[in-house]
Amino acid sequence: MSTASGAAIGIWRARNVRTVGDRWFLVYLVHMVALVTVAPLARAVWLSATSAEGLALLASPAAPEVTMLVVAGLWAGGLVLGRDRGPALHPPFLTHALAASDLPRSDTFRGPLLRAGVRVTATTTLVAGLVAGSLMSHGLADPFSAASFTAVGALVGVLATVTWLAGQAFPRAAVPVAVGVLGLGATIAAIPAAQPFTPWGWVGLAYPASSASHTPVALVALAALTASLVAAVPMLMNRLGLTALAAQAARWDSATALAMGMDFDTAAALYRGRAHTGRRALAVRPRNRLAWTFLIRDAIGATRTPGRLIVGVVALAASGVLITLAFAPAAPGWLLGAAAGLMVFAGIGPLTDGIRHAASVAGDFPLYGISDERLLANHALFPLAAVVLVLLAAVMVCSILTGTAAAAPLVSAFVLGLLALFARVDNALKGPLPPALLTPIPTPMGDLGAAARIAWALDGILLAALAGASAALAFEAPLLLLGVAVTFIAVGINRWRHRG
Amino acid sequence: MIEVDEVAVIAGDVTLLAPISTMVQRGEVLIVRGRNGTGKSTLLRVLAGARKPSSGTVRIGGAGAVERDRGFRRRVAAMIGLPPMASDLTVFDHVLLVATTWTDDQAAAAELARGVLSELGLDALHGRFPHELSSGQMQLFGLALVLARPFEVLILDEPEQRLDPEHVESVIRVLRARRDGGATLVVATHSPLLADRLADHTLRLDAA
Repeated sequence: MSTASGAAIGIWRARNVRTVGDRWFLVYLVHMVALVTVAPLARAVWLSATSAEGLALLASPAAPEVTMLVVAGLWAGGLVLGRDRGPALHPPFLTHALAASDLPRSDTFRGPLLRAGVRVTATTTLVAGLVAGSLMSHGLADPFSAASFTAVGALVGVLATVTWLAGQAFPRAAVPVAVGVLGLGATIAAIPAAQPFTPWGWVGLAYPASSASHTPVALVALAALTASLVAAVPMLMNRLGLTALAAQAARWDSATALAMGMDFDTAAALYRGRAHTGRRALAVRPRNRLAWTFLIRDAIGATRTPGRLIVGVVALAASGVLITLAFAPAAPGWLLGAAAGLMVFAGIGPLTDGIRHAASVAGDFPLYGISDERLLANHALFPLAAVVLVLLAAVMVCSILTGTAAAAPLVSAFVLGLLALFARVDNALKGPLPPALLTPIPTPMGDLGAAARIAWALDGILLAALAGASAALAFEAPLLLLGVAVTFIAVGINRWRHRG
Repeated sequence: MIEVDEVAVIAGDVTLLAPISTMVQRGEVLIVRGRNGTGKSTLLRVLAGARKPSSGTVRIGGAGAVERDRGFRRRVAAMIGLPPMASDLTVFDHVLLVATTWTDDQAAAAELARGVLSELGLDALHGRFPHELSSGQMQLFGLALVLARPFEVLILDEPEQRLDPEHVESVIRVLRARRDGGATLVVATHSPLLADRLADHTLRLDAA
């Protein structure tokens, strides 16, 4: 780091020096979090990885190919993430001050990039070490291949950081390249002969339980690729533009501030894709019945963010598959149902822009010539039609492919679709955190205020998971489903009455 | 006719609006002026039925100001801050959708939408999404949304905000046309130009 940039960052850091007391509190906090959260979680993960089921999964013949796909997904994800929030980023003021100066970005933004890289690399190394360690502990891998795979994990992390930075430096190319990376990863995983010649293949070949004996070659090849890409990092950093950096820093700062205030929806909205296509096609095509006008308007509106729409439909289809599998004999129905609930809640998000708009209009001065209730109902038509159509189609296809009965999953999927829509309406009407939740909630177990605030902030997700679980158990415990439905409706009515 | 009789708004120990009385006849423009914090926006919110006064009464066309009353919603339009905008609709889609919900005559709705956008100089922006507008264009677009619906009373808070002098002139022209068409306007403004060119009556608010 040059003297000038070091001095600038020093001034920034000096504005808020931690006292000795603050530092001891931080040490205490880190220890408590490690003891209370990290240690039990790490133990649970290790126990699952070394259990009979875990080992069967890790040592299965498909594990190297799955690893290739995961790595391709990680690198592709890095590229896409970099478009909106890259690794080389300071707080807004410092970003602007440093990026507007004539100092090279490779110097002034090296610190945050290194910190992000260390975090990513530590995570991938840990995951690879966990996989290798669990296989080695049961004699399914020798120490050399276990150590090599852990090293491969570290290299994968470094490469993920570089792709993350590449996404930040080339935001327009990020998505097509990410699709290419993912597509090639999937193709290579299916063609064993091509694996020795690609980065994804090298990762698969170094998998500890892999029968191939190419581990040293794969490790060296991956190390060479990593070294050559790391050499390009200064060039990538010096491509970062002032406007893009300032916009990313400001958006991240706002999102973290909102998230700290438990307003996760608004924080997520900052990163929601913006309409950019289909501007020439009229979305509003007046019909005799206004309901049709709104249905068509919402459908065309959704196609104006095609990426979001595709992700949403895929998530809905996955939800249909999960709810069908929840009815398979000996399947953990409630767990798969809860996962289906989360997926349908996520998938319906891109289809409910109209509902969010109706909720904001309902809290403002009258604009439309129909009541707020009718506006909301009209905007619910498109997501309702889409969610029912996609869910039921996915259930039918999955039932045919797996040879299971379709009737029960169809009913459950239909109910789940309705509940997910209610969850989205409830979420749209939510409003800011009630001040009452800012007060402590003393109990014999301690202050539950923070837990209550988190539950309030994540209520949509929690209720969606509950809805999924209850839909999967609809025929065994119909009262549970009824209770969940009544809760959704009661929450919605309460929020509607207190809107605006 | 708008009748405001000794209306005051007090929140806790803070007086947001000191007692005020005024009257505006149909087809007249009331300009509300005053320094920041004198209660201009609070008065407009009371008139728009979005806030209950702590004391006094407001009557618009002989009835009370209640924002959720169906008849009141038809008669009174307000823009206090920007109206909510849908991120997936273009400028023209927005204005057309608002106009469509107020009439069964679809051709008239489309004509009204085009006309309002043209009056405000937004013809070239039909295909833009809200996030692609500048702050001044956003202000004009917000105004277009409100003007695309019918009203007898129009309440506006600083419609000149973020606008260059040419566009302030456009807004004055548009508002005068609405007044000449019989609408009653209540406009809070810091613009001497807008006040001079529009005012039939001026209400000056002092610090509470």
